[in-house]
Amino acid sequence: MKLNIKHVMIVLRKEIKDLIRDRRTIISSIVLPMILIPVVNIVMGGGIQKFEKQINENVTVALSQSSNTAEARELVRDRILSKNPNLVLVDTDDPVKALENDDVRCIIELESSYAENLKEGKPIRITLQYDESKTRSQAAADIVARAVEKFSTEVIEERITSLGLDPSILRPVYVERVNIAPNEKGNNMMLEMMLPFMIAMLVAIGGIPAATDLVAGEKERNTFEPLLTTMPDRGSLLLGKYFAVTLFSFVSLIAILAGLFIGYMLNPNSLTMGVDAGLEGITLDPLAVALALLITIALGMTFSGIQIALSTIAKSYKEAQTYMSFLILATMMPGYATMFMQAADMSPVMFALPVMNTVAAFKMILGGRIDYFNLVLALVTSVVFVALTLAFAASLFKKEKVMFRN
Amino acid sequence: MERMIEVTGLVKKFGDFTAVDNISFSVAKGEIFGLLGENGAGKTTTLRMLATMLQPTAGHAVLKGYDTQKEPEKVRAQIGILFGGETGLYDRLTVTENIAYFGELNGMSKADIRERIQQLARAFGMEDFINKRASKLSKGMKQKAAFARSIVHDPDIMLFDEPTSGLDVTAARDVHEFILRCKSEGKTIVFSSHSMSEVEKLCDRIGIIHKGKLVECGTVDELKEKYGNDNLEELFVRLVGAE
Repeated sequence: MKLNIKHVMIVLRKEIKDLIRDRRTIISSIVLPMILIPVVNIVMGGGIQKFEKQINENVTVALSQSSNTAEARELVRDRILSKNPNLVLVDTDDPVKALENDDVRCIIELESSYAENLKEGKPIRITLQYDESKTRSQAAADIVARAVEKFSTEVIEERITSLGLDPSILRPVYVERVNIAPNEKGNNMMLEMMLPFMIAMLVAIGGIPAATDLVAGEKERNTFEPLLTTMPDRGSLLLGKYFAVTLFSFVSLIAILAGLFIGYMLNPNSLTMGVDAGLEGITLDPLAVALALLITIALGMTFSGIQIALSTIAKSYKEAQTYMSFLILATMMPGYATMFMQAADMSPVMFALPVMNTVAAFKMILGGRIDYFNLVLALVTSVVFVALTLAFAASLFKKEKVMFRN
Repeated sequence: MERMIEVTGLVKKFGDFTAVDNISFSVAKGEIFGLLGENGAGKTTTLRMLATMLQPTAGHAVLKGYDTQKEPEKVRAQIGILFGGETGLYDRLTVTENIAYFGELNGMSKADIRERIQQLARAFGMEDFINKRASKLSKGMKQKAAFARSIVHDPDIMLFDEPTSGLDVTAARDVHEFILRCKSEGKTIVFSSHSMSEVEKLCDRIGIIHKGKLVECGTVDELKEKYGNDNLEELFVRLVGAE
């Protein structure tokens, strides 16, 4: 194929103009992400935080009818529930009904001989009643169980001390954990999980509306054959369309990142839905960021090649959309496979595969542990994928059977 | 007379199926040559080979001295093409932008394109809608825009592939007038159709194509005289039936 840059630019300019005027593409690729992303993140983030608060705060607890005596109340309130200020003892005549009505989240029942057992140094059985079908009740049982454990430890220490011994003899070994993560690095797990996945997915699939429109759409609207009768070589026509698709895959990404930024400005917690430190403590390595951006650009170009190829194979717009939905599924698999991994867990093979390599590169940057060998490996293999997919699309543009299938 | 199109032993096979089977013809400058045949006879495949969209399996086609296989870009620079059915305009572009796009692709300068568009707008009466998007135009307006687009680069050769297919009488008449206008400007025209009447009305010479083979070629009068039949339709059925 003979390439003519002037022809490539003419096609690219026209395709950009055409796509910008396509309301469907603009709304779905630019406007919606910029509005929906901050709204969804803020609402979801707010929801998660509110839910966490509801679970952990004002945990209402009642004593069973058989255990509800003044002494038992005193013991439970002063020695067990006092371990967690969020635990609140509620007085009720019918604790089971109160549990059903969500007035209390957990019922504590002490065995009848608890006072004697405590005095005589025997174990006391405490039964917790809760509703497994209710998250808040389930969480309350865990919170109360932890408070009971603390009480139990306290009693052991009292008994050991009364025997004139040091309670530490019961702990011959103990564990001390030291975090060697980069200084001031907060817990960015949510951000490391979500952001690289989003970037890779959006770049990989962002060009789909444009690719579908620019070849299959043209075939369906009968504009493709007149175009093929103009002077430029097919290689120039292909490249003009290819760059337009690549550009649009990044436009969607930029729109979504802008959406995230707007959300962050409105509510910093929205970025990670309020569940971790977010951007706190992240320091960016400029060279690693530059490499990651190049890998991302290569990913966009690789998928533009695939999308143009699929759009060329398709006989109609609908057929192209079907192929593209398979492509989305195929793209999601490596994305999800690596979503919960940390960069250090990813093997060099993963850095050599599309989608995974972009996810890995950004996880590395956010995690603050840069491995330049793997980043360069990802970049080199990405360039190979760009060349392969573009060559594949170009070979299809030359195939009469594919070009004139209909 | 200068020969603008020279087709020699052209063959096109799609797998085992032979769509065009060893056809040869030539078209002189300023002549309208009609390819007459039924659906699937091989007319569109022949025109696609002339337009360099398809590669011949065998044979040659030379347009204005350029071989379609050796110098396809130069061939494409010499031709304008109009397809039947949909006009193939970009709906989201204005008429001006549609025409200018094809002008640019065919190597025209921006100044030449501007001047040419003004000229074409006057010639086809498009001044009122030249800056409207194609999606907002009536069928007739779109057709005019498609005519203008096909000749923006002032090609010497025009290829018409069943240009009146699916059109009503008035629109078909507009196409006929456009073809005659191209002829009057000295353009060489290859025109495919399955309509006897329009071929008889427009063409200087016709080639009857059937199952990929050119079964007869000559002026309408020559063919009528040769087969002793004044009715082109009967003559066509006789030739096609005889195959």
